[in-house]
Amino acid sequence: MAARRLSPLSVPYRVLQRGGSIVAALAFMLATGGFSLPFAGLAGPLVLVGLASLAAAVFVGYEYAYFRRFAYELTADTFDIESGVFARRNREIPLRRIQNVDISRNVVQRAVGIAAVSFETAGGGDTEASLRFVSFEEAKRLQRELGRLKRGASADADGESSEPDARVLFELDRRELAILGALSFDFRVPGVLFVFFSGALTFVTSFLPEGLGPLLVVVGVFVLLLLGVLASWVAGAAVAVVNYYDFRLVRSADELQYQRGLLQRYDGSIPFDKVQTLTIADNPLKRWAGYATLLVETAGYAPGQGDSSRGSEAAVPVARRERIERLVEDIEPVGTPEFERPPKRTRRRYFGRYCIVIGAAAAALYGANAVFGQFLAWYAPLALLPVAAVAAHYKWKHRGYWLGENHVVTRNGVLKRETKVVPYYRIQTVIDTRTIFQRRLGLASVTVDTAGSLSIGGQDAAAVDIDAEDADALRGELESRLRIAVAAHRRGRVGMGVEDEVDVAESVESAEGGSGEGSMEDGDDADPFVWGETRDDATEDARRGDDGPPDDAGR
Amino acid sequence: MNRLDPRVQLLWVASAAVSALVVGGVLFAVVAFLSPPFLPSWTPYAAAALVFLLGAATAVARYRSWGYEVREDSLYLERGVFTRVRTVVPFVRIQHVDSSRGPIERVVGLASTVVYTAGSRGADVSVPGLTADGADELRERLKRLAIRSEGDDAV
Repeated sequence: MAARRLSPLSVPYRVLQRGGSIVAALAFMLATGGFSLPFAGLAGPLVLVGLASLAAAVFVGYEYAYFRRFAYELTADTFDIESGVFARRNREIPLRRIQNVDISRNVVQRAVGIAAVSFETAGGGDTEASLRFVSFEEAKRLQRELGRLKRGASADADGESSEPDARVLFELDRRELAILGALSFDFRVPGVLFVFFSGALTFVTSFLPEGLGPLLVVVGVFVLLLLGVLASWVAGAAVAVVNYYDFRLVRSADELQYQRGLLQRYDGSIPFDKVQTLTIADNPLKRWAGYATLLVETAGYAPGQGDSSRGSEAAVPVARRERIERLVEDIEPVGTPEFERPPKRTRRRYFGRYCIVIGAAAAALYGANAVFGQFLAWYAPLALLPVAAVAAHYKWKHRGYWLGENHVVTRNGVLKRETKVVPYYRIQTVIDTRTIFQRRLGLASVTVDTAGSLSIGGQDAAAVDIDAEDADALRGELESRLRIAVAAHRRGRVGMGVEDEVDVAESVESAEGGSGEGSMEDGDDADPFVWGETRDDATEDARRGDDGPPDDAGR
Repeated sequence: MNRLDPRVQLLWVASAAVSALVVGGVLFAVVAFLSPPFLPSWTPYAAAALVFLLGAATAVARYRSWGYEVREDSLYLERGVFTRVRTVVPFVRIQHVDSSRGPIERVVGLASTVVYTAGSRGADVSVPGLTADGADELRERLKRLAIRSEGDDAV
């Protein structure tokens, strides 16, 4: 396959994109003060026009050179890019390191039929390589081709004809989009509004008649609050609709592909064997209405998310719970979790914790009364005690963990309940923590760490407040199941729950032949057969490809 | 279960001394320049002594709570005075292993081994308080075990 170039249309597009602001500035100068350049006299406009055309020529020249210099090529096991006008750069990215291929197109790009392609690798919010811009067909071809090469299907030479059988897993229908919009709030809006209007506030109050009394202030504040909530609701709904318009999730051979967006269209792929964690999230409202959210987490980063690196966007924003469950079953055959709840004594612990908060509030009020005089009933928070008891019960009720055949499932949280499905194969480390208070009650928390990008915020899957002895057992169990999962993976299973693709019996044989009697001493120079055997897909994957930045990626 | 080198207590006591000095120094400055009425002149010394004693006691307790073990398939760490933490790092998941010696560690003749995984808590796994040779040896051993676990398909 020969090296390819960007789409020729990318030249005018980039020129307009990058030069647009300068053209605008020049036009502005021309329209306002430009006619009276002090030293040029009547020739002023001409000079300006000359400058503008010079700048335009430079831009066009640069972009054309960029286009001429840019070449990329998808080889059997690397993606090569050669680029640079002044500083030249040749890059080869091993295909195995690529997590997602994401295509994005805004309105203008859609109109002219070009797209930006980003290649994400593991390890944080950094795009490894991007093509700006290629034709949309070419972008799709790259996405497809990369998936095919990674599957190693390139060996069966029927190449192009092996079109993966794509199957639509999920489509967000109008009603769900409406529900999503209705449930979305963007609480950044009130802050912006506040900043914007805080100056105007004094201006407005100067018009109000004096001495209207506190009632007006209360009403005013209430109206403002209402407006703030309304504004954030409208903005949240708009953002949600724009982001998730026409959302669809497609399953091809071993990839998950998603499309979404109204103005900017995103089109991404997630290989199944890069999936780290599945999270089903809901809140009391969604639970009551029977809806939930699904997040698919990889070690890469999601496009179009800006600074908020919230894992992958292959999230199903909202859908009926049964549908989400079917989807999870489709992506990762988990089975039906039967959660093991923490022991009942934990309820006491939560109740105690809430009591401390209530007590502190009462004490603070009491202190305030003592300092500023009687104006509040300091014992009012005590009325919350029954609520605390109920809350403690619910907190306990919604906690739990379950060990499935291929997955560990944990569930935590009431107001923001998250059910996390972690394939054993994805476990990185198992951490067992016991605080003083937990030890007093004989409890422990077991955290299952994965390379997922959501977990950076400390939202790892965890079995919280389980019995200390259970925790010991769980730790050992998780470790041994990881071992089994890794062994199974090497025998040819792709990823976690995905069906075996290789004849298991046969590959077990070869695997056993390869393992040898490696004692601790033969270490890194183990018999060459092992190396030959292990340096292919499965194990290389296990070591680095999918699990994060390889050793040399700069820690 | 392997223990750490007892000298690591010196290191931790020394760091307690540093924080005691900082706390004492700040309080001393406050007393000297602002002299608030509710702070008697002896508070800096008392606070520094208290911080130091608590820190030293914690250092000893921490040493006692620390243990690590190179198991068949994983590295197991146990530590924590107030919150007990036990970490299991399967060898298959080790990305790379460092041994490191900070300037103060070098004075006492100690070193640490740091194990990296791809997990979001990757660098959490480090074994302090090893002798320089011990740290290198542990690093080598973990490296070999990590490589071996790749080729070891036995269930």
